[in-house]
Formats: sequence, structure tokens, C-alpha cells
Amino acid sequence: MNGLSLHRKIEENTGLLIFGILVVSAIGGLVQLVPVLNQDSLEEPTSNTRPYSAVELTGRDIYMREGCSVCHSQQIRPLIAEVERYGPYSRAGEFVYDRPFMWGSKRTGPDLHRIGGKYSDDWHRLHLLDPRAVVAESIMPAYPWLGEREASEAGNITAKMRGLRRLGHPYTDEEIAAAEADLEGLKEIDTLIAYLQLLGTNFNEEEETNE
Amino acid sequence: MADMQTGFWAGWIAVLTLVSLAAMGWLVWSIYFGRDSHEETPEEPVWDETLEEGHRPPPLWWFWLLFGAMIFSLIYLIFFPGLGSYSGLLDWSQGARMADSMENFDARFAEPRAEVAAMTLAEIQNDLNLMDTAERIFRRECSVCHGPDGRGQANLFPNLHDVDWQWGASPEQIEQSIRGGRRANMIAWQAVLGEDGIDRVAEYVQVLGSDAAAGHEGATQYQQTCAACHGADGSGNVALGAPRLDDDIWLYGGDLATIRETLQNGRYGVMPAFGERLDDFQIKLLIALLAR
Repeated sequence: MNGLSLHRKIEENTGLLIFGILVVSAIGGLVQLVPVLNQDSLEEPTSNTRPYSAVELTGRDIYMREGCSVCHSQQIRPLIAEVERYGPYSRAGEFVYDRPFMWGSKRTGPDLHRIGGKYSDDWHRLHLLDPRAVVAESIMPAYPWLGEREASEAGNITAKMRGLRRLGHPYTDEEIAAAEADLEGLKEIDTLIAYLQLLGTNFNEEEETNE
Repeated sequence: MADMQTGFWAGWIAVLTLVSLAAMGWLVWSIYFGRDSHEETPEEPVWDETLEEGHRPPPLWWFWLLFGAMIFSLIYLIFFPGLGSYSGLLDWSQGARMADSMENFDARFAEPRAEVAAMTLAEIQNDLNLMDTAERIFRRECSVCHGPDGRGQANLFPNLHDVDWQWGASPEQIEQSIRGGRRANMIAWQAVLGEDGIDRVAEYVQVLGSDAAAGHEGATQYQQTCAACHGADGSGNVALGAPRLDDDIWLYGGDLATIRETLQNGRYGVMPAFGERLDDFQIKLLIALLAR
């Protein structure tokens, strides 16, 4: 058989053509995606990575709700300029408890993956409520409502943690039972700060040098 | 490399990649150079009266383009990781490249860094270029809290131009503050002092260091509760981060209402640690800038 007669046969037989298209377009996925589903290094948390606490999880949801990831990425690329500016580059194992991940794709503001511990809680509070109060030239919008709304009303934390546990996050019954009490008295801004202060801190460079 | 596929899936990737590459090669080749590729078929269908369906092969430069792309992929797969567990002739990896560029980076700056390491603070302070660098580091790393000019802001972040430094202004103390950060811990005194006590002590603290302090009614309670950290005369204690109270420099504010608030609720100012974020060279330049 040669190319043209095969070509003719495929072109004249719709069923065969559809089958051929499916096979050809599946190859990329079969090579790129299927093996990754079985790749342990992408599912194993780095040594210090743990599931988010009730407070941090609520903060993360607020981070999502306010669209922080539209302007801030959470992925430090393995390039010297990024590592010098932000810290150790991001590892896959750091995101195993991120559903969905907040990598983002655009940096109008700086990357936030290693923001945890860089500023004090007080600074974050001022800055979120009114960025111009601490950085005069900032173009970040102000989020004054975060200081007024109750964290416990930001969503059903118990249901969220149960759902995540079903997906494999190791929450204990006690943690889930205490979740609502953990949020008691906190404003949304407190949980968001707790989340920001945790970002990128579950990482130990010495242990993760994988070469 | 930890992130490479091994075992079955490595073979899966390698076989699928090579087989589909070979199949593509054969397809493209046979379309151009197959046995019947240049024969005319006897009946050419014509559609809508003028649309003829031909089957002449596409222009030859297309062939070279496709063929070239396939050769390129093959060469790429020989040199770089891509075929399952085969790591390529160049043994390239993301982590190794990062480590390499880090080494280059360090090597490139080794000389100026060594020079700065050997200099005294006074020598650095007399070098305009270095001080310019120090100011740039300050603007990038410190100004977000301490203000673009270092004069503090928001009544939360200390002014670095004044003489009253809560944690000390000597080069050693500054280094400690930058590397390890600082965590102030003034607890709330509402329960101990009571409403009246807070009033009395707040007034006393405000006038402390002036003549009005002598014989003030808040003095007794101040000595009992505050003096352990802030000193009997209000001169502070840099080891504890307890600021001077006998001068006119206030971080949170020196008006009566703010002092009352401080006494009632406590203060827990935090300076984050920069020991991991800055290198020795940058820290030394900052110390030179701040210790003036």
C-alpha cells in the first residue's frame, strides 16, 4: 500500500476518517497527560506541606473570590532573576493541597508564592484595606470590606473540608468539627492574612534539592 | 532526576513518540515520493461546474519544512530529556540549569562581594557607589514598611532617621534585627491597672523625662508594672525592645489617647526576618546605610 491509495481510502470512508482523526489527536494526550496521572513526584507533598487549616482555607477562598490570581501569580520559575527576587523556585509537591491551584498567569503585581513571612500581619492589614497607606505608588485596588465581613459567613467551611477530605486531604474528624469554632470572631481579612503568611513557607530548600 | 518517568510509562512515552514520528515521516514521504504520487487519476471530479478536485502534491518547500521539523525533533530528543527515562546526551535538567546559573551569578559577583566583606562600615559609607546600591536595596526591600525615605509610616513602622531605636542602633543590633527579625511583646495592662490606673500611668508616661514627672501620681504603678522593661527612669531597654519613654519620639503616637490604647491592648510589632531573603553582601550594605 502507498500513501495516496491509503489517503483516498480514508477520505472516501467517513467512519475510518473519524477514527483516524481520533487516533492522531489522542497521541499528544497519551504521551503528555496519561503518564503524568501516574507520576508520584507530582502527588507527594514536599516534606513540610500540609493541608490548609480551616482559617487558611477560608482565606484561600477569599483570595479566589477577590480574584487576586488575576494580577498575582503563585509560581516562581527556575530562572535566576526570579529566584533572586522571590526565593526558591516553586516545586510541584508544594501544591498538592491546592484545589484548584492559584498559579495565575499574569503579574500586574508581584508573584506571591514566597510572600509568607515577608511582611508583618499589621502591614498586610493596612495594605489590603488601603494599599496607598503603605505604598504610595501602588495601583492595587483597596479591599475595605474584608475588614468588616465575618469569616464564618464566607462559606460553609465544614462542607468544604469534608469535600476536600473525600479528595484525599487528610483532615481528621476533630479538625472538621472544630472548623466553625476556629473561624469564630475572625474577619475575612484575618483569614486572608493567615493564608498569605503561610504561602511558600512549607518549603525546605536543603531537602528539596533533587539533583 | 527525581521527576523522570520510569518503568512502564517511560517505555510508553518513548514508543508512542517514536512510532508516531516514524508514521508521520512515512506519510509525508509517501505523499511526495510514493509510487502513484505523480500519476493523474483518470476521472477528475468537478464540483459546481468549475471546482476541479485535483490531487497534485503540495509545494515542495512544505515537504522540506515538515521533514526539517521532524529531523529537528529527533536531534532534540537525542540531546535533551523527552523519551521516557532517557535523560539525553547533554544530561540537561531544570534543577541543574538553575544551580549552574546560580554559580555563574555568584562567580560574577564574587570579587565585589569579597571587597565589601573586607571593608569597614566607615569605608563603605564613604563609597558613593556602594551607598547608592545600599539605597536601592533599601527602597526595594525595606521602604514598603519603613517608607520610601526611611522615615517610618502609618504609626506602625519605625522611623529610621531618629535617635531612639527600640532594638538598638549599633551595627551588631541592626544586623540582628535584619537577619532574625524582631517580635515586640508588650502585653495588655487593662486587667492589671484598671481604668483609673491606665489614666494615671498614661499621663505619667507622657510627661516622663520632664520636670512634671516628679511626684506624679502615676509613678508608683509605673514602677510596679512598667519599669521592669522600660526602666525606672523610662530610658528603655534595647535587649527587650522596650522603647525609651522619656523622650518625644513615639512609634504609635504620643498623645494621651494613643498611650491609653497601648496600655489597654498591648503592642505586638513585628519586623520580619530577612536573613534568608538577603545575602551577606546586601545585609552589610544595609547596615552601613542604617548605622550612620
